[in-house]
Amino acid sequence: MTDILLAFASSFAGGIIFNIKKENLLWSGVSGALGWLAYSLLHRFTGDNTLSTFVGAAVVSIFSEGMARLLKSPATIYSIPGIFPLVPGIAAYTTFQYIMENKLSSAASKGIETLFSAAAIAFGIMLVYGVFRFASRLNEGNPGKS
Amino acid sequence: METKEIREIAVRAGRIMLCSGAEIYRVEDTIARICNSYGAECECFVLPTGIFVTVYGDNIESMSMVKRIRERTVDLHRIELVNAFSRGLMNKPLQYEDALEALDDIEKPHDWHLAIRLLASGMIAFALTILFNGGWKEGLAATVISMLIYMINSKISDLGIFRFFEYFVSGIIVGAASLVAIWIFPALNVYKIIMGSIMILVPGVAITNGIKDALHGDITASLLRLAEAVYITVAVGAGVGFMLSAGLRWL
Repeated sequence: MTDILLAFASSFAGGIIFNIKKENLLWSGVSGALGWLAYSLLHRFTGDNTLSTFVGAAVVSIFSEGMARLLKSPATIYSIPGIFPLVPGIAAYTTFQYIMENKLSSAASKGIETLFSAAAIAFGIMLVYGVFRFASRLNEGNPGKS
Repeated sequence: METKEIREIAVRAGRIMLCSGAEIYRVEDTIARICNSYGAECECFVLPTGIFVTVYGDNIESMSMVKRIRERTVDLHRIELVNAFSRGLMNKPLQYEDALEALDDIEKPHDWHLAIRLLASGMIAFALTILFNGGWKEGLAATVISMLIYMINSKISDLGIFRFFEYFVSGIIVGAASLVAIWIFPALNVYKIIMGSIMILVPGVAITNGIKDALHGDITASLLRLAEAVYITVAVGAGVGFMLSAGLRWL
């Protein structure tokens, strides 16, 4: 529970750093909290980092695309702060730290972990984006709307 | 409207979007949408460091333009504004002067007050230190350091020295400040403090966006963004590592 609040706080504050306007800050925080909730639940049951990150990002993206359609604004406004607790920034840094300490095999495995979680987030977001776009194309019959 | 003016509006809108950290496909879509709403066709190629556009059409003169992009930040509100602007043009094309005025409005600084952004960066550091299994004491130390580097970073940005210098200096400051923290409170874990405080520097979002660009088919742009992310990590890591390897031996 504390974790969810912390994820909310970090996405909310991330929203301020990324210059989102006031009305949307709350929703970007909620998006981060939902993503982290999905990630941590799945991580507890499966222990698989990449899969949990993928699902977490997909949840963030579903929420963002939904909000984007409700509030008529681009989905990135909610998804970029939303993935803030999930992104592998620390993993990227740790990779470099291992290289500096000359622990090359640890660096390689950490580097691969970084790439995989970044790819998992990107695929999670793009999958949902694709599905939403496909659905709206079926509905309206005119391409080019996002 | 003349081709020159259409090109001007389209490239300007695209530049604002790209400088605010929009995805490549969104910038290309926006430029094409603006040209279409004035009845012109366009072919554009966008990289994170520049925009190349040719505007053409049946009854108009074809014209090209190259626009170099030098600074990039993340400013999601601006992306939203330009998005709304270009969609508005589709319904009701504005006159040249009105359109430029609208873009001027969008470009006006509208940042949150520095104090609020400082608090926010502290909050990120605190929340993420604890989220990644740090204690609240480490969280507090990271909060202070994070606010410190955010402040110094925005001051260096105003001076306009090259970007990787900012990251390197921030890394050095993080290293030095966390050494001071464990010097005063030896019970703290220095790595946890560092992780929390560099959270606002490390390019997690940039790596993810790089892969998102690749999935859209913008391979060149994606490679550029990934390379940028690697260099940022190296700059920050080099700063921190330099201080730590000097300091830990000395302590």
